[in-house]
Amino acid sequence: MKIFRKFTVTALTAVIAVSTAFAGIASAADTLKGKITINGSTALLPLTLQAAKEFQKLHPKVKIAASGKGSVTGPQAVKKGIADIGAVDWDASTDVPGFKAFEGQVANKVAVIPFATIVNKNVGVDNLTTEQLKGIFSGKIKNWKEVGGADADIVVITRAFGSGTRVNYQAKALDGGDIVKKEKNYKETGSSGDMKTAVATTPNAIGYIDLVYVSGDVKAVKFNGVEATTNNVINGSYKIWAYGYYMTKGQPEGITKEFIKYVQSSKFQQGSLKKLKFIPISAMK
Amino acid sequence: MGSPVHNLTSRAKGNAVAVSASPKRHSRHLLSNTLFRYYFLFSILALCLVLGLVILFIGKTALLLFGQISPLDFFFSFNWTPEEEAFGAAAFIVNTLSLTALTLLIAVPVSVGMAVLCAEIAPKWMKNFIRPVLDLLVGIPSIVYGYLGLTVLLPFLRRASGEGLGDGLLAAALVLALMVLPTICRISDDAIVSVPRKYRDAAYALGSTRLQVIFRVVLPAAKRGIISAVILGMTRAVGETMAVVMVIGNTPQLAKTLFTPSSVLTSNIVMQISNVEFDSTWNYALHMMAFLLLLISFMLILVIRILGRKRREV
Repeated sequence: MKIFRKFTVTALTAVIAVSTAFAGIASAADTLKGKITINGSTALLPLTLQAAKEFQKLHPKVKIAASGKGSVTGPQAVKKGIADIGAVDWDASTDVPGFKAFEGQVANKVAVIPFATIVNKNVGVDNLTTEQLKGIFSGKIKNWKEVGGADADIVVITRAFGSGTRVNYQAKALDGGDIVKKEKNYKETGSSGDMKTAVATTPNAIGYIDLVYVSGDVKAVKFNGVEATTNNVINGSYKIWAYGYYMTKGQPEGITKEFIKYVQSSKFQQGSLKKLKFIPISAMK
Repeated sequence: MGSPVHNLTSRAKGNAVAVSASPKRHSRHLLSNTLFRYYFLFSILALCLVLGLVILFIGKTALLLFGQISPLDFFFSFNWTPEEEAFGAAAFIVNTLSLTALTLLIAVPVSVGMAVLCAEIAPKWMKNFIRPVLDLLVGIPSIVYGYLGLTVLLPFLRRASGEGLGDGLLAAALVLALMVLPTICRISDDAIVSVPRKYRDAAYALGSTRLQVIFRVVLPAAKRGIISAVILGMTRAVGETMAVVMVIGNTPQLAKTLFTPSSVLTSNIVMQISNVEFDSTWNYALHMMAFLLLLISFMLILVIRILGRKRREV
């Protein structure tokens, strides 16, 4: 019994000593601690999650909780004080079609998101101009033969109003033009995944999506003669892209500031961010 | 039916014996009985509280809508353009009703026919096969039905109709019909089986053919059960979201043809709720639509209860 008690005491002492030692090392290396909550766009979520993972490895005392929903939920959550950072794919501190500016919020650029016009693989058209796209999405051009394709009705697939992808596509590809609903051959989808499935499975369909989603089962068409590639975005010839933003209430402070700094650092921008097929902000002139 | 009742009485007898044998044990039983009574009471009250909160919060947000636009606009305008402050939900309401009607039009004849087959006609091995299969179908998640609709049904409809898209009321109704069919079929099946055998014997004795027995005696006798089955199917059809979103086209307009891409109450809520601002008329309007759905399903359940009560009185 006595031996047993002695053993327990020794073990406990050892455990306490070791853990304090470890804690001591950790806190000596790192004064950052606290919790960051990030809400908003699903398009930016993969980037946010990757950054959070790396940042928490560097600073074990920081907890980051990130979740994704519609883009506008980001700045809204910041406004209500639910989140420290609101991820959004447009600059929410200015007015965009459908959404008023969020007063008092600061937009921090974190990435460049390219978008592509996609069509079903049965469509013969390879290139569309701004005017042609405006005609198609406003319903004035109804048949592929009007833009140099086969004689078939154009099926327009679009994102629901309020989607960040739609906001950016309207602003950049349609030059601010409208997307008009029609009685026939018009469908709205709720997410990038749905958009891709719908365009891939519907003959004569046209839609738009983040460039990272484009793969073999849909065809990306050229915009004003320029192919949708990251290189063309960087050299300035491909125009359909937007910055992804982290919105904060006023200038970011404390750990929030450190986290945004980390995401903007060239180590993260040139490494993980590129691997996730976003474009570093430093690449844009 | 006989055996569980028998079991209960024999267990009760056993308890009585035990009670007389040991008073200590008796008081322990009393205690556990009281405890369980409070536990059950607590459970039901917790459920009522949650239900009450759902109604309260949805209703509270929903009613804010009528401070900003008139109920007339909401219920009777067909123009839903939130970006231009037009919140007319009439198109969704009409679409929901017509989608439900179309679904039942397809599902009810088939499922009641299957129920008759199961209960009256099929040999035993076939019943033993069909009933578990139907039970399995009830359990398939709606997203699976929706995905099949998107990848199998839509291309088929496109080819059959020559439409460019194929999305619309017909596609949604076909998917929903498949979903509610097992529910309606199994409950009608039970209703038909519980029609007393003597009715059939009497009809046969009077010289009826099998068809006459089924249509003139068995189905009328099982009528209330079948109607509650249909209403139960209806509540599922009205509230179904995921499967509908994938095949209806999600365009806020009145479905003038079977192939017009359109939207119903549920699909419009799920499409737009993540893109709206918290304190906006748009958000209130979506909550109003959810509240409307709640009211519709409460009403349907009320109808089932009334039907059930009448049956017991007969």
